[in-house]
Amino acid sequence: MSSDGARILVVDDEKQIRRMLKAALDGYGYDIAEASSGHEGLNQAAIFHPDLIILDLGLPDLDGTEVIQRLREWTQTPIIILSVREQESDKIKALDAGADDYITKPFSMGELLARIRVAMRHAAKADDEPILSFGELSVDLAHRNVTIKGEDVKLTPTEYEVLKYLAQQAGRVVTHRQLLRAIWGSNYQEESQYLRVYIGQLRRKIEADPSQPTYIITEPGVGYRLITRD
Amino acid sequence: MNETFNKKNSIPAKTPLIRVSYKHYAWSFLTVVATTVIGRLLVPLFDLVNIALIFLLPVLISAVFGGRGPSLFSSILGVLCFDFFFVPPVLSFTVSDPSHVFVFLVFLLVSLVTGTLATKLRNELERTRQREKRTLALYALSREIVAETDLQQVLGKTVKTVADSIDGKTMILLHDREADVLYEGAAEPSDSTLPDEKELAVAHWVLEHGQPAGRGTETIGEARAFFFPIKAEECTMAVLVIQPNKEEGMINSEQQQLIEAYTNLAAVAIIRLQLAREAEQAKWLAESEKLHTALLNSISHDLRTPLATITGAVTSLLAEGSSYRQETRGVLLQTIKDGAQRMNRFITNLLDMTRLESGILKLNQEWCDIQDVVGVALREIQEILQERHLQIEIPPGLPLVKADFALMEHVMINLLENAAKYSPPDGSITISARCRHNALLVTIADLGAVIPEPDRGRVFDKFYRSESSKRLSGTGLGLSICKGIIDAHGGQIWVESSYENGNKFTFSLPIPEQPVEPSNTEQRANHVI
Repeated sequence: MSSDGARILVVDDEKQIRRMLKAALDGYGYDIAEASSGHEGLNQAAIFHPDLIILDLGLPDLDGTEVIQRLREWTQTPIIILSVREQESDKIKALDAGADDYITKPFSMGELLARIRVAMRHAAKADDEPILSFGELSVDLAHRNVTIKGEDVKLTPTEYEVLKYLAQQAGRVVTHRQLLRAIWGSNYQEESQYLRVYIGQLRRKIEADPSQPTYIITEPGVGYRLITRD
Repeated sequence: MNETFNKKNSIPAKTPLIRVSYKHYAWSFLTVVATTVIGRLLVPLFDLVNIALIFLLPVLISAVFGGRGPSLFSSILGVLCFDFFFVPPVLSFTVSDPSHVFVFLVFLLVSLVTGTLATKLRNELERTRQREKRTLALYALSREIVAETDLQQVLGKTVKTVADSIDGKTMILLHDREADVLYEGAAEPSDSTLPDEKELAVAHWVLEHGQPAGRGTETIGEARAFFFPIKAEECTMAVLVIQPNKEEGMINSEQQQLIEAYTNLAAVAIIRLQLAREAEQAKWLAESEKLHTALLNSISHDLRTPLATITGAVTSLLAEGSSYRQETRGVLLQTIKDGAQRMNRFITNLLDMTRLESGILKLNQEWCDIQDVVGVALREIQEILQERHLQIEIPPGLPLVKADFALMEHVMINLLENAAKYSPPDGSITISARCRHNALLVTIADLGAVIPEPDRGRVFDKFYRSESSKRLSGTGLGLSICKGIIDAHGGQIWVESSYENGNKFTFSLPIPEQPVEPSNTEQRANHVI
């Protein structure tokens, strides 16, 4: 996806990170605005009308989750969270509050760009394509059919539902809770052990080596991500 | 009633060694009656004076078993009976022959002397017996606490011994020198309530002056309890509080001596433990100082090295007039990336270690599929392992474990990184998992040089680097972190090393009862594939 001057708001209290992001994203043709605090970020979001917001979780003035909640009161602009490794529970809270994705510091620019593209693409289109393809894996939603290298893969209904949900959110992180709620219902949203079993089975059916998965990636402590190749 | 509580006081007459009860008098009475009956039977055979001698028997018996009172009682009763039943006129206290009065007097005198002697003998015996008992008690206590390494046990045994020998509640109040407060060290019975404010004040006085105080003593004699200092070398470190169960219960000088002996023993034991603790602390300090030095060296080396490569590469790229070929630029940039990743891993390890050390590590345990952990770890360090031949042997259907996913990932990364670092670049690395008994075993095997036998246990020590590994850069943190994390999960980690098979690092995790999936068959029935 070409970035025809899409606007990105970077909210981070670290000047160095802002400077680096501005320089790097400028180079890819994005139009960048900066904010160094939660309040400034909320103001900038209203003035600048960004197409995407990159939000640091460790802001000095406002809790990241609160910023997301306030933004979500009036805008569906995709939000990508910047976090550090030790903030698993904060990440999950932010994702459940409505953030679209997260990236852990230190991160590579390639990774961040991929997340940005995925988030914007999901924001842009709402309708489902009937067939979702990821490399050699394709999921035919209309016929409930999954193929690898053109060959049919036999999935149990639950496995299919898990794969379908991940495929519809392709490229984006899906939290355990989101997945559990979607497949088993809200009564089971804390029971992540079912997921482990089904993801394990799914990988054995679609991955060449289930110990080195290339489609369904685990995001430790957070959830899963179906990788897109673009 | 405990016998020892009635030992000789400083005023002997008031508290005889043997407690005399009415029973003793009753027995004296009975023996005299029996003697009278026997005497009556013997009248036809013996002379009156001989019969008078028989009456010395109850006196002796009473003296031995009852002491002075009963012996006096049986002498007088004996004289009266003799007079009444034997001296003519029989059955009358009148004495016809005046010479008999002389017999009475001699009898009384003899019986008094023998009674007193017998009582004395008996008392002496009793005292010796009690002294022996005390010595034994002291010996028992000293034997019990001399080898004890736990202060609580020492105090507990001391209060128990004291409470056993003195009928009362006993408590040791320890002195916290820094806060200058007394707190309960041990009590017998253990549910005894702490002394009230007034009593604590007495205890503080005892602490300050190193003198006994409380009930019956010169200081604050009106208190309900006795207070004894536990001191060594003029330094009072605790106070022994004794509250007798009996309202009138007193502590006599012998008991006091005994208690002093007990407190001296306790003081020696407490001092010994304090010294041991101080020595332990000193050792710990020295150890932690060594660790600090190692940590500082490690930080300065392991952060500076990648920092140096990054700075070097960046400054060359930034240098004015530099005209690198595309290829060289790539190499420099890759150096920067590698350096940064290395620093990141090091910081992760440092954070893990700090969290493990400080005890703030909170396991975020969730159900984990070990294959998933392996997958994430391999992805995380794919650049390090990209050239290596990896062999993964994880059978399907292994049970789930309850673990902190992120920490298990760190364990796996550290083990894999180690395997890559200490084995030849063309040697393969094998990751395998299996179930044994109630544990999941995960093994990372490499074809590295054999770890010498004595080093095998120590490779998990913090900052430990074996001689052969010192030439390779590394922190000596990775394996100790692995051990810390695995220990926290209730598992074990060990290494096997041989020339044929290389090095095998294995960790085990307990397998909990497996979760059961909710039955959602009706939901599934709607899907057809």
